Amino acid sequence: MSKKVVIPIGPQHPALKEPASFDVTLKGERVADILVKVGYNHRGIEKACEERTFLQSVYLVERVCGICSHSHSTCFIQAIEELANLKIPPRAAYIRSLIGELERIHSHLLWLGVAAHEIGFDTLLMYSWRDREIVMDLLALLTGNRVNYAVNVIGGVRKDVSEEEKDQILKAVDILEERTKYYVQVATEEVTLIERLSKVGYISHEDALKYGAVGPTGRASGIKRDIRKDDPYAAYGEVDFEVITDDHCDVYGRAVVRVKELMQSYSIIRQLLKKLPQGPLSVVAPRLIPAGEAVSRYEAPRGEDIHFVKSNGTDKPERVKLRAPTLANVQSVAKMLEDGYLADVPIVIAAIDPCFSCTDRMIVAVNNVSTAKEDRMDWKTLREFSIDWYKKNRGVDFTKLKKLDK
Amino acid sequence: MKTANEIAQKLKETYSSYILDISAQRERRVWVEVDPKYFRESFESFVLKEGFSILSTISGLDLKDKFQVIYHMSSEDGVVLSIKVNAERENPSVPTITDLFPAAELSERELEDLLGINVTGLIQGRRYPLPDNWPKGQYPLRKDWNISMLDKKTEKETDGGKNE
Amino acid sequence: MKIIDKVINWARLKSPWVIHFNAGACNGCDIEVVAALTPTYDIERFGSILRGTPRHADVLLCSGPVTRQLKDRLVRIYEQMPEPKFVIAIGACACSGGAIDGCYSVVSGVDRAVPVSMYIPGCPASPDAIIDGVVKLLKSYEDSLKQADEKNENGK
Repeated sequence: MSKKVVIPIGPQHPALKEPASFDVTLKGERVADILVKVGYNHRGIEKACEERTFLQSVYLVERVCGICSHSHSTCFIQAIEELANLKIPPRAAYIRSLIGELERIHSHLLWLGVAAHEIGFDTLLMYSWRDREIVMDLLALLTGNRVNYAVNVIGGVRKDVSEEEKDQILKAVDILEERTKYYVQVATEEVTLIERLSKVGYISHEDALKYGAVGPTGRASGIKRDIRKDDPYAAYGEVDFEVITDDHCDVYGRAVVRVKELMQSYSIIRQLLKKLPQGPLSVVAPRLIPAGEAVSRYEAPRGEDIHFVKSNGTDKPERVKLRAPTLANVQSVAKMLEDGYLADVPIVIAAIDPCFSCTDRMIVAVNNVSTAKEDRMDWKTLREFSIDWYKKNRGVDFTKLKKLDK
Repeated sequence: MKTANEIAQKLKETYSSYILDISAQRERRVWVEVDPKYFRESFESFVLKEGFSILSTISGLDLKDKFQVIYHMSSEDGVVLSIKVNAERENPSVPTITDLFPAAELSERELEDLLGINVTGLIQGRRYPLPDNWPKGQYPLRKDWNISMLDKKTEKETDGGKNE
Repeated sequence: MKIIDKVINWARLKSPWVIHFNAGACNGCDIEVVAALTPTYDIERFGSILRGTPRHADVLLCSGPVTRQLKDRLVRIYEQMPEPKFVIAIGACACSGGAIDGCYSVVSGVDRAVPVSMYIPGCPASPDAIIDGVVKLLKSYEDSLKQADEKNENGK
């Protein structure tokens, strides 16, 4: 007779770098239920914005998330600019998009490394994070910081891109494209990887819609939505690119989508730099923002970021509501792990590219119905269990892989 | 593809009994205020018949004399329809939409935790986003709340390090 | 100092085992901690290894302003670490609350929950700064051991 075992995991797990808690209910080896608890990162930013001026709020909103700080900053500032009826100069729009794409690249490369680490493929982690440093150096060159670029001002951007910097960006993009082609090859041809990730974390197209999956997570289930195409902002209306979707509906699909999106980003950056219009970097913004309401959307690396801003004619916002993409994706995790194996938990959660600081917290609880055991597992133990399980039961062993030769 | 103005016009004509106010703010942005009595009917129509089948998020506001909840929905064409519904100051409440959108659960719990708006029909569950030991009756996002109202006892109970 | 103590201290100085805890941070500092492990910065050449469990760790790297929900867990993790233990607060938020200082949901700084040995400022703290901080901490521990050693010798 099957009995339940609860295995609470977290909220401290080295791999994910973020506090989240998972209560997983197991029936034998299969996941019967998962309770995702989020909220540990709740810092009260929305309230804080009401007590600060718009300008101060910009600095705060940028720090909602360290990986997609430009996404939050741009999304927020776009809302303010709409309220103040400001039209930013075209050059500023291009620069915002440029930094946005660089951010997408660094985020996807980061994800590639983290996901590789979860399945025991540490070589790929080291390679992708080494490549990521190329982008970090570029961002530091262009904006002065590796993270939290503070490139936006209300009305435009604060820093220009010189001709020399343009050349450096193009050179770097060439290098990255070569390396990414290799990752695409690994993703599509490396049998061990395909075996490890296929059919894991499956969520059908219909369920993905119902549970509100956004970004690469949704696109891997065939949901063809990308704010850059559907609701264009900044300079995205003037560049050509494809919205990458995939039909696998599983973790493998999510990996393929992200790697292919990298290739799209390189193409977008080249187009932006080629067409970069001359002109001023910003327009003067008023201190008092006229009363009104605005909704701004942005395609962050993880999916749709939406900000609602209400102003009351003063220099402080009346209300700021931020919904980061991971909040939308978190709720599909339970569905993805339904009837999966405990060994799948780490990679499935990592595959939605969780940015818990954007979302607040994620908790997964495990209960094993079959053995009536209550187990406490930290993330590292779960990850090692997962790597061992796949080695024993599926013959997946990344240490046997020939060295990546680039 | 319809423009925001065309969409606003069509909704106004089709659902005049539900709608209190409607406007097209700019391209791809339509704002509508519905009568709380007909919230569920209007919501279901917009979602199931008018193509606004994507729930982006739910914003709750404290307008001092009343509360307001805005449901930000979007269509596949990228048009955002923001549906406003008011709730009274004393005992504010809105019905749940988790039967249509299971993903609305966290946003609705946020309304309850941060603003004290009761969401009827929402199944029992762990609160979000405030910690379990947060004092009852304190709703941080309300305009009449500030941090000095926080029961200092909560912090002292778990204070493991330096004192302020 | 007994031989065994010298060996243990040598091991701690040469190969500190590090545990990382995110106490409500935005991830900026956390990613820089992981970046410090990657080949470009490579904190492993100092012998540092990232561990998963507090029971094996010498150094706790803590980022974030410490949200109320996480304060107790942070204290618990600290208590599980064996002596001697060090806590490094990484980033402006961990040092003093940073940008998030004063918000209702945080206690504004790691030192309000556990004693801190080293503060590394920055928003986020760059990997160079993190490595610098860890190395300085170990050096100061080494110096304090030497001093204690000398005191013992003199006292004999």
